[in-house]
Amino acid sequence: MAILVNRHSQIVIQGITGREASMVTRHTLAYGTRIVAGVTPGKGGQEVCGVPVHDTLAAACRYHRIDTAVTYVPPAFVYDAVAEAVACGIRFAFIPTENVPRHDAMKLLALARRAGVRVVGPNSVGIISPGERVKLGAIGGDNPERCFLPGPVGVISRSGGMTAELAWMVKRAGFGVSTAVSIGGDALIGSTPRDLLQMFQADPETRAVVMFGEPGTTLEEEAADFVEQGGFTKPLVGFVAGRFVEELPEETVFGHAAALISGKVGRPSAKISRLREAGALVAEDFEDLIPLVREAMGRAG
Amino acid sequence: MARLLESQALDLLRQAGLTVPRYEVAREPREAEQAALRLGGPVVVKALVPAGKRGRAGGILFAGDAGEAARCAEKLLGTNLACYPVEQVLVEERLDVDRELYLAFTIASGRQATAVIAGSAGGMDVEELSRLHPEKVRTIHVDPLDGLPDFAARQLWYDAGVGGSLLPQLGSLTARLHRLFVSLDAYILEVNPLVVTREGKAIPAAVLMGVDDAAVFRHSELAGRVQPGMERTWRPLTGLEKQVVAVNDADPYRGTARYTEMEGGDIGFLCGGGGASLLLFDALRQAGGRPANYSEVGGNPTADKVYGIARAILSKPGVRGLLVAHNITNNTQVDLVAEGVVRALDELGLDARSFPVVAREAGVNEERARRLFQDRGVEYYGDEITLAEAARRIVARVRECAGAGSEVG
Repeated sequence: MAILVNRHSQIVIQGITGREASMVTRHTLAYGTRIVAGVTPGKGGQEVCGVPVHDTLAAACRYHRIDTAVTYVPPAFVYDAVAEAVACGIRFAFIPTENVPRHDAMKLLALARRAGVRVVGPNSVGIISPGERVKLGAIGGDNPERCFLPGPVGVISRSGGMTAELAWMVKRAGFGVSTAVSIGGDALIGSTPRDLLQMFQADPETRAVVMFGEPGTTLEEEAADFVEQGGFTKPLVGFVAGRFVEELPEETVFGHAAALISGKVGRPSAKISRLREAGALVAEDFEDLIPLVREAMGRAG
Repeated sequence: MARLLESQALDLLRQAGLTVPRYEVAREPREAEQAALRLGGPVVVKALVPAGKRGRAGGILFAGDAGEAARCAEKLLGTNLACYPVEQVLVEERLDVDRELYLAFTIASGRQATAVIAGSAGGMDVEELSRLHPEKVRTIHVDPLDGLPDFAARQLWYDAGVGGSLLPQLGSLTARLHRLFVSLDAYILEVNPLVVTREGKAIPAAVLMGVDDAAVFRHSELAGRVQPGMERTWRPLTGLEKQVVAVNDADPYRGTARYTEMEGGDIGFLCGGGGASLLLFDALRQAGGRPANYSEVGGNPTADKVYGIARAILSKPGVRGLLVAHNITNNTQVDLVAEGVVRALDELGLDARSFPVVAREAGVNEERARRLFQDRGVEYYGDEITLAEAARRIVARVRECAGAGSEVG
C-alpha cells in the first residue's frame, strides 16, 4: 500500500515534450513507474522515451485508462491544464510548477474541489512510494535510492528539497519510507498536512509520520488539531525551520512564497509548541530527528 | 508580491473607469504648491512610499491652501517612512467628507478564496476597527469561480450597518473593485477611507494595492511599475540586492538566485532550497555564526547564475568566510554550483586556504563538484555530513582563520 499513487496508477504527463518534463519522464520510467501517455497540443503522434504523445488529454483518454495527471506546464498554462484534467474526469492532479499566479491557483483549487478531484501542489517536487517503485515529479532525481528506501515511515514536507533530506534522516535512523509527499511551498495548495495525515492513518504500511514545517500559514497548527481530535493516532515527528524569521520585520518572504509571518500567524515557535501540545515529537535540532524517528518507531511497535 | 505606489493604484482605478479624487505627484515643495493651485481648494499631501499605515506614521498631512501644501511637502520630502525614503509626495484633492467607510480585498489562503472586508467606519486600520467596533466590520469570502455579484456586495454593506440610498452605489462599486482586484492579479486592495461626500457619492480616497509578480506576464499595464524582489525585504533593495535581482532576471527560466542582506554578519551564506536555507540560517546562528546575508538558490541554476550571486555575497564588506550548502538535491547539477562559486572566488582573488569556504552539495554530478571544489581548497562534503554539521564547520573554520581569541560569534 501507499498513499496517492501506487503501482497500478495510470499516469499522463501534460506538457511531456518540454525539456524538464522529458528528463523527469526518463527518470520516472527508469524507476519503474507507469507513465501511459503524454499530452502536448500540436505534437500528437510523437514519442518521449517511448511514451506516446497526444494532442489533447481527451484524445489520450480514448486510448488509455488514465487516473493521474502530472501538469508539467509553465505557470501561465497550469490553470488550463488542470481544468482539462478535471473535464476529462481524472481523479488526481499533481502540479510541480512553481510561480503559478495566486488567482489561478485559487481558481483551479476551487474547480478541483467542486469536481472532487484531489490536487497535490502547486510547487511540489514530487511524491514517491519506494515500495511500489512509483514516483511523480522530479523527486529523487536519477538516484531515488540515495534517500528513499521502502519502509514504514510517511514523510510530509513543505519544502521539496527537504523531502529528500528528511527521507535521508529516516534512512540514517534505520528505516524506510512508505510515501513521501512534497506538498508545495505556496500559500495556496491542494493537499495539506492534515489531509495527508488522514490518508497515512488509513495506510496500513505507514506506522509513523515525519513532517517538515516552515514559517507562515497555519498548516502545522491544523495538523496538530487533527492529531488532538484523534484523526491521526500514529506517532508524529516534526521539525519546524526558520525560527530566525520571527526576529525580522513581518510580511517579509524568506524561502518559500508561503513562509511569511503576519501578526500572530505563522510563527515557528507557536507551531512547535502547538505540535508538542498535541503529542508530536518535535526535534529541536534537525539531527535530533534520528533518535526521535527511532523513538516513534518504538512507540509504533 | 509587489506593492504599488498609491499614484499607480489610483491610475489603475481611473483607467478602469472609476471616479477617484484628482491628484498629482510632486518631487519638490514648489511642484506641490503648483499642483495644489491647479487642484484648487484644500488638499491632502501624502508621502508616496510603497507601505501601509502611513497616516499613523505621520506621512499624511492636510493643507488648506497651496502655500501650506508646499510646507507639508517640505516636511515630508527627504524623510524616511517605514524604512522608505520619501522622494515624492502625492497631492490629492480634499473631498467634502460626509462619512468614511473601509473596504478591502485580500486573498485568504486558508479559505482559498478572496476575502472582502467592509467596515462602516473608516480612517483606522481594520484590526483596530474590528477590536473597537466588531459589529461594524463584516467579511465574506468569494468563490473564485462565481465572482462577487452586486447583490452579495449590497448584503455585505447592509450587514456592516450601512443602509439606505447608499446601498446600490456601494454594491456596484464593491463588485467593480472586486473585478479589478481579480483582473489585475492583485493580492491586496485596500480602500481606506472610502469617502462618502456630502453630495452622496462614494469615492475611494486612499488606495493601497499590491499585485502578484508571478502574474505580471499578462499585464502590460503593470510593466515598469512593479519592482521584482520587493516582497523579500522590509526596506528598499540595497545595491547588492538589486544586483542579484538583475542576475536572477537575466535568465528567468532556469534556477532562482535570491539575496537579502543582513545587518552586520561575517559569514557569506550561499544556501539553497526554500526549506534548507531556513534550516541552515537557524543552524548557523545556533552554532554561533553570524550570517552576512540570507540567500536562496534553487531549481537547478546555471553556473552563471551561481557565479552572479556568489560574487554579490562575497562583495559585501566584512565577509570572512562562505558556506555553500543545499539539501540533498533531487535534480540540481551540483557541479554547476561548484563552477559558479569557484569562478567568483578566483575573480575576487580569494584563496579558500585563507578565506574559509565549506560546501555541502549532494546531487547530480557530485564527483565533478568534489574535484572542482577540492582543487581550490574548499572543504567539500556530499552526504557524509548533515546540514547542521556543515553550518558548524564553517563557524569553526572562520574562528580558526580569525586566530585564537578573536570575536566571531
